[in-house]
Amino acid sequence: MSTRPANLNPTPSALKTILVVEDEVLIRLAIAEYLRECGYKVHEATHAAEAVAVLESPEVSVDIVFSDVVMPGEMDGFGLARWVRANRPGVEVILTSTVDRSAEVAGMLCEAGPLMKKPYEPQNVVERIKQLLAKAGRA
Amino acid sequence: MNAAKITPLRPPTALSVLVVEDDVLTRCAIADELRSDGYRVLEASSVADAVAILGTVPVHLVFVDLHVPGPRDGLRVARFAQDLHLPPRIILTSGKVRPEDLPEAAEFGPFVVKPYLITRVLDLIRTTLDPAGN
Repeated sequence: MSTRPANLNPTPSALKTILVVEDEVLIRLAIAEYLRECGYKVHEATHAAEAVAVLESPEVSVDIVFSDVVMPGEMDGFGLARWVRANRPGVEVILTSTVDRSAEVAGMLCEAGPLMKKPYEPQNVVERIKQLLAKAGRA
Repeated sequence: MNAAKITPLRPPTALSVLVVEDDVLTRCAIADELRSDGYRVLEASSVADAVAILGTVPVHLVFVDLHVPGPRDGLRVARFAQDLHLPPRIILTSGKVRPEDLPEAAEFGPFVVKPYLITRVLDLIRTTLDPAGN
């Protein structure tokens, strides 16, 4: 018997690709595997520079970037969101951060896009992805 | 995260491969091909990430670049893997040294010199995990 959440499309989008950007390896592994179980193709990046390399690659097509805000390196999640908006305007971005960090950076949210508070439920991440894909007409 | 709510799309007996590679596009390419082949693929870009995964998730094979960032680089990952209760198979790779330059590498398993063809790496992983070809 399937225990997949009832609101998940059984094959939501074999061709939809999510880029997960998260420096905490076990968190990245968990959410990336969950998204794969839900039928998405998932690429993993450990920080923003890796994410940019993936997004710039002609071999890779990405529909949604799901990124932590706080990451090592020169560019954080907000910087990555700005880069995506400037260079890959068709790609949607979902940012995630801890509650205290969310409050701290609340003023930047309008510019950067939706933000999910950590810890997040993976089902909610999928719901947000589906909403963004539907909004973009790519569901 | 509630793993009990997840219905795996891959076979429940899928073999797991840990790819330890700091070049994200190389890692993506290898990981994609392995997933297409039915493997569960775990990705690490550093020694610390690889050790964290090996200490948490059962892994059947580690494909590790010798020059990932971290103290004592990929050999440390190989040694950590080798010392696990159920040690995975190990395949080393490098674009900077050749196997003859690093004799201690021979104790771990096959050595793939970069640049490599992904199809050949996949063949090597298949045969390393299943020498009988079943």
